[in-house]
Amino acid sequence: MTKKRTGVFVCHCGSNIAATVDVAAVAAAMAGEESVVCARDYVYMCSDPGQNSVIQAIKDNQLDSVVVSCCSPNLHEKTFRENAKAAGLNDFTCEIANIREQCSWVHKDRAKATAKAIRISLSAVKRVSRNLALEPIGIGVTRRVLVVGGGIAGIQASLDLANSGFEVVLVEKNATIGGHMIQLSETFPTLDCSQCILSPKMVEITRHPKITLMTSSEVQEVTGYVGNFRAKILKKATYVDPDKCKICDDCAKVCPVVVPNQYDLGISARRAIYIPFAQAIPASYTLDESSCLGLNPVVCGKCKDVCEAGAIDYDMQSRTVTEEIGAIVVATGFDLYSQDHLGEYGHLENAVDGLQFERMCSASGPTKGKVLRPSDHKEPKDVVFIQCVGSRDPARHCSYCSKICCMYTAKHARLYKHHVPDGRAYVFYIDIRSGGKGYEEFVQRTMEDDETLYLRGRVSKIYEDNGKIRVYGNDTLSGQNVEIEADMVVLALAMQPSAGTAEIAKTLKIGRDKDGFLQEAHPKLRPVESVTAGIFLAGAAQGPKDIPETVSQASAAAAKVVTLLSQPRLIRSPTVARVRSRLCTGCEMCVDACPYDAIHLENGKAVVNDVLCEGCGTCSATCVRAAIEVKNATPLQIQEMIGAVLSL
Amino acid sequence: MINLQELRTRARDLLTKGEVRAVVGYRRGSRGMAAEPVVITRPEEAAQLVWDPSCVHNLALYLVEDRKLLKHRRQTPDKPIAIVAKGCDARAIVVLLQENYFKREEVYILGVSCEETGVFSDQKLMRRFGVNSQALTDARFDGTDYVVTSAEGEQRCAAREVMAERCLECRQPFPKVNDVVLGEEKARTLEAPFAALGRFEQTANTQVARWDFWKRQFDRCIRCFACRSVCPMCYCEECIVDSITFTVAPDTTAEEKANRVRWIQRSATGSENIGYHMTRALHLAGRCIDCGECERVCPVHIPLRLLNTKLERDAREKFGYEPGASIEVASLVSSFRDDDPNDFIR
Ligand SMILES: Cc1cc2nc3c(=O)[nH]c(=O)nc-3n(C[C@H](O)[C@H](O)[C@H](O)COP(=O)(O)OP(=O)(O)OC[C@H]3O[C@@H](n4cnc5c(N)ncnc54)[C@H](O)[C@@H]3O)c2cc1C
Ligand code: SF4
Ligand code: SF4
Repeated sequence: MTKKRTGVFVCHCGSNIAATVDVAAVAAAMAGEESVVCARDYVYMCSDPGQNSVIQAIKDNQLDSVVVSCCSPNLHEKTFRENAKAAGLNDFTCEIANIREQCSWVHKDRAKATAKAIRISLSAVKRVSRNLALEPIGIGVTRRVLVVGGGIAGIQASLDLANSGFEVVLVEKNATIGGHMIQLSETFPTLDCSQCILSPKMVEITRHPKITLMTSSEVQEVTGYVGNFRAKILKKATYVDPDKCKICDDCAKVCPVVVPNQYDLGISARRAIYIPFAQAIPASYTLDESSCLGLNPVVCGKCKDVCEAGAIDYDMQSRTVTEEIGAIVVATGFDLYSQDHLGEYGHLENAVDGLQFERMCSASGPTKGKVLRPSDHKEPKDVVFIQCVGSRDPARHCSYCSKICCMYTAKHARLYKHHVPDGRAYVFYIDIRSGGKGYEEFVQRTMEDDETLYLRGRVSKIYEDNGKIRVYGNDTLSGQNVEIEADMVVLALAMQPSAGTAEIAKTLKIGRDKDGFLQEAHPKLRPVESVTAGIFLAGAAQGPKDIPETVSQASAAAAKVVTLLSQPRLIRSPTVARVRSRLCTGCEMCVDACPYDAIHLENGKAVVNDVLCEGCGTCSATCVRAAIEVKNATPLQIQEMIGAVLSL
Repeated sequence: MINLQELRTRARDLLTKGEVRAVVGYRRGSRGMAAEPVVITRPEEAAQLVWDPSCVHNLALYLVEDRKLLKHRRQTPDKPIAIVAKGCDARAIVVLLQENYFKREEVYILGVSCEETGVFSDQKLMRRFGVNSQALTDARFDGTDYVVTSAEGEQRCAAREVMAERCLECRQPFPKVNDVVLGEEKARTLEAPFAALGRFEQTANTQVARWDFWKRQFDRCIRCFACRSVCPMCYCEECIVDSITFTVAPDTTAEEKANRVRWIQRSATGSENIGYHMTRALHLAGRCIDCGECERVCPVHIPLRLLNTKLERDAREKFGYEPGASIEVASLVSSFRDDDPNDFIR
């Protein structure tokens, strides 16, 4: 090998590195290396003068490779590779030695930290000396987007994308879009009607020429990679043609089947053929196969007989549609924590959950906006609202704060008082978390204007007694035990990822966090990106959040998609796996291990698809024969890097 | 015990009808009753075949040797090769099939069930009778005891006294995957699985004690590579912990030769020996089917089964994985399930 001419640039990062690491000593130690022809330190290497000095040094010293000892490559690998390129080198002749996150930030002893920074830098010098000059892989882009989930998050993202000129396929598993927001009555902090602000957006979805809406549909399989995904979507038979349905309700009138209506969380009933609610989109009846007597004119067939529009077709078949898309937005939302987990709290007849209460308050809901308790349809005069049910309880339930319950409980108490002015509202809470524009004022008004009694403490006991619910609790502020004889209790249940989240995460190969919500790529800097390139997150699927936050995230995800799909060609990193064919025995272990399905066998030997490969190195760690390695991170490079780290 | 005549007839018929190109089996060795591996290609040679408790060798190794030879000669035979396979040998073949080393139709598995007997441990024979299998002229199992014949005449002992340790612990003495099988599937539980490992962990019950133990063991290793040579799973052309096996092709450049990775020095010193054995053990995780051959052939008696069965037990307990149980499933180290335990990640 001809002698390398490497330059090493050690950054102080202000005092981030320099306070703990003797940066001049690192530069001096590197200057002593045989292949290093220039080594220097500078206060902010990433600043404009810093970058210029790197470019100038490459030219002045005819460097053929560069090591920058600075922060994580996540932050500035790209920056300095651009510098190398600007100076006429190949991008991949530049490597980063991370002496900040992996050294100065985690150590105190200056002498030891300096010695470690020297070893880290030396290992990068060794690595870069064997780097190959690689050319980035360019790929085409499909300028269409798949949005999964038709709640407010999915709706907002779809509209933003469609208005930016991209074609959108919106897939919703239910018979209508709208998600949980369409079930709400009024919304905090302004108490405007949820339907009034959401319905126009739902209608816009159906009217938009760039949006294809698929309801009663599920994403079954996604293959491909950023810019070039292929999704298989199952469109389930609804047995009613939405284009022909006139929403006359004739069919439901004759249907003999009565089942609980899930859109009203069971507090109303519907027929087997039904429309979820008046504003449903698509505006059409739908036939629920599981409760219908048999989709068979011999057994029943009443609805088909009565439908003048001829919209009902018992022979309609489910079908699978394949869509080519370039990016995916996942907005699969949340579900309420199940009362099954609550033990004694759970499933009391007059204890409703927050969504049931919303339906009661809603003018279009089952009680036409009257607050009536389930057991006898009487107006409750004493209502206890319990916050944090299932939240913030690592021992028994969810450890996290569901974030919105303080606010919607305050809203519920106010709505109740507006509906039943002579009623008494009590709220049990741990703390009130009302950060947000106008939120604290909203809660104050609940306490003051609407005279709600806030009791700070957990409920200790709750049971049904003679048509009432007895609630025992402790008011930690007054130090007194409290006992309330309530007519109705409203439980602010925790938010959890919606039922199919685990499955969709698996289908899309994106991660989930410890609580099961979809995992963002970086909690601060990449909050709307999933860990898989080209797949973005929006709404409550990523973590508990209210509508304003959901909408912001949806628009942010849409903007990210626009950024991605506006590029003429996508650049994939060329640091991909390479098979040393001679050694490969075709055992297929790497094929099974590759998380990106990037490897297949050809004539009994492994072959890597450069476009699919993410360069993660899983294959290389799996192959016992060392027959597959990642470019610029070969076993030889790794061995020499280990040697450098262990040396001195 | 299986009917030896039937084994010979089967082998002869396969060769006579030209269904296979050869049969790998055992024949009487040059001394005493001790069996040795043999590859026969002519029907009349079938009469040489034997089956008794001295058939210790894992013959699957010869399927690997056969493949390597065929590759070297650039031959693609149109007929399978037959192999006499005990339970453990058959499990080894399953792993080779799982790893696509050859195709199912390229091998004809003449399964033999060990039933109650298993195979001898020469060390145990020495301890019990003062002679090894080369000094025995006959050995049979009478339903309860072993009856061995030597210069001393006929002697009896309980099977467990002379049976190889892995046979005592064997959980599958019957070759499940086979083309034909002789003998019956009989349950045999002389010792609980992983019993020897359990005993070891009881004595060396701290990390320090175990490290001391293994350091002493590996200090003795002379790196003769007998364990690797006898192992059917060690079929790599280039062993990553033995740079001398670096394979050179016409297109190998001088630079590639100079830059081959030397993870481990050639000298047989403690640290290098540990590097070799640990790497081998990890490369056998989920692949080792506990035929115990490495331990048997080790000239300095390093108890390698303790290492390999430790990984096997972990695989079973943590991942519900049984090496050699199925051709179809993905290998242990290449498969991942959402519910895999990850409590070892700290
Ligand atoms: C009782 C209550 C009261 C609230 N009140 C307020 C309030 O007053 N103000 C406020 O700002 N916020 C309020 N919220 C919060 C608000 O409901 C959420 O912020 C919002 O609904 C989140 O929207 P989303 O689109 O992320 O999820 P969701 O509304 O849950 O929508 C998700 C959609 O995705 C669909 N879906 C799920 N999985 C799949 C799949 N695999 N394939 C296809 N489709 C799928 C679902 O069917 C659903 O339509 C309240 C919440 C509750 C529980
Ligand atoms: S794991 Fe190694 S030997 Fe097996 S197929 Fe992949 S590259 Fe080839
Ligand atoms: S480095 Fe290997 S395992 Fe990782 S994506 Fe590429 S081929 Fe797959």
